[in-house]
Amino acid sequence: MLDARVLEDVWRRESAHVLAALLRRHGDLADCEDAAQEAALAASVQWERDGLPQNPRAWLIRVASRRLVDTVRSGRAREEREATHTDRMDMPANADGDARRTDADDTLRLLVLCCHPALSRASQVALTLRSVAGLSASQIAAAYLVPERTMAQRLSRARATLRAAGARFELPPPAEAASRLAAALDVCHLMFNEGYVRSSGEHLLDADLAGEAIRLTRQLHRAVPEHDEVTGALALMLLTHARAPARTTPTGDLVPLAEQDRRTWDATQIAEGVRLLEEVLPRGHVGRFQLQAAIAAVHAESPTWEETDWAQISVLYAMLDAVAPSPAVTLNRAVAVGMAVGPAEGLALVDDLLTDPAMQRHHRTHAVRAHLLESAGELAGAHAAYQRAAALTASLPEQRYLNRRAARLPRS
Amino acid sequence: MKYVIMIHSNPQPWGHPTGDYLPEFQALPAEERERLTGDFERTLTEMQERGELVMGEALGDPTTARLYRWEDGRPLATDGPYSESKEHLAGFFVIDVESLERAEEIGAVFAGPGETVELRPMMWPGGDDQ
Repeated sequence: MLDARVLEDVWRRESAHVLAALLRRHGDLADCEDAAQEAALAASVQWERDGLPQNPRAWLIRVASRRLVDTVRSGRAREEREATHTDRMDMPANADGDARRTDADDTLRLLVLCCHPALSRASQVALTLRSVAGLSASQIAAAYLVPERTMAQRLSRARATLRAAGARFELPPPAEAASRLAAALDVCHLMFNEGYVRSSGEHLLDADLAGEAIRLTRQLHRAVPEHDEVTGALALMLLTHARAPARTTPTGDLVPLAEQDRRTWDATQIAEGVRLLEEVLPRGHVGRFQLQAAIAAVHAESPTWEETDWAQISVLYAMLDAVAPSPAVTLNRAVAVGMAVGPAEGLALVDDLLTDPAMQRHHRTHAVRAHLLESAGELAGAHAAYQRAAALTASLPEQRYLNRRAARLPRS
Repeated sequence: MKYVIMIHSNPQPWGHPTGDYLPEFQALPAEERERLTGDFERTLTEMQERGELVMGEALGDPTTARLYRWEDGRPLATDGPYSESKEHLAGFFVIDVESLERAEEIGAVFAGPGETVELRPMMWPGGDDQ
């Protein structure tokens, strides 16, 4: 009798490689996923009865390939698919010279396919979780708090878009390689952030998106170890994820970085993040992920919020503002400058943002302003800014936190 | 990002789609009515295909509502409608979209003469620690 858990683990480990093997022979992701899914179903029946086969991956690929051939030969598929796809079906699996690609290469190709520029970012993330990470539609739906049907619609639309765009399971031509890899990295980072901001003690989810993102970025790092920004992104995720145990209270309230109990930070993840960063920083080219990781490392290595090397963080944010300017970077820079120099200098940076109507509606602009006003001793102004931020945020724990801060201050 | 789109309306008699029972909508030339209905249906289909539509429900006649107010330390039940105002909540849609801009685009398509459409962000349980 085989534990369902074991089956799930095998599937999560092997699904990307099964899919990669199918995609090498037949370019349509929707067909390949259907076939892989049927093989997984067959495995759950047969392995349960006969035990785990010696080579689960080979077993899954064999069964899935048979299903795929059936599907493609059926009239429905012939009508719907372009000839270019079906033509390649009769090719033996090892016909092309590079059949013995490494696992890392499979992951890279699959990731680049799922992050095809024809798809929206949200679809890229969903498809990556499904096809590369091997999560089920219902697990992804649970992570994003939407009904399974809604997520299934997003996934099938994404696959149809790939089909219409003629997307292939292959590495992009050299001219596109850099931007396609950057898109894949953005997807991993977005997935990490979405997972990280969702995780809290009260709301344990079926799928650990942040953990998945780290796993994927690790695989990406293995495929392109010389890519500095991939290394930087992996370091950033590890250094940020290390704070996870401290970022919420048992009742689900948010604990801001300034108030976190740093003894509960994960030392192993910090050590790995710092090691990766030390390896990559001296190489020269410093992109936004490396800079963000460097900032996270300064936080990770300082014993308290007050003792943080704010001057260094200010410099790093100024560099980040030059490499990848965004209102979010300016806000973080304002916090750092407020600590390193003084609240007035921080407020000057925030005030520039307030001229932008979109940032005026953004809760974090007002939250940062409130903190700076509070440290400047302008308590009435801080109270009003906390209230404005609380009204604008859509995050329940953030709103509770901001309302608490406002309540401690005298009213305007 | 999740938003709820609330349709505040007062069709006479109460019925769905509300436009069929609103004099302001019925007063429009036929081709204009068809255009609005077409735009709405097209957007709804597009939302379904994109996986943006989480759910949508039409509500019953507000006179069938039961209201519970707190009085003397316990709930006191009376019959609806909830308010004397001209419009009542007639239905709602929950959407999950990539940006506020997309939500506003959808909200505008859901609007029609004789009723008010309200777009509100939904709160969510996560948050950033920065």
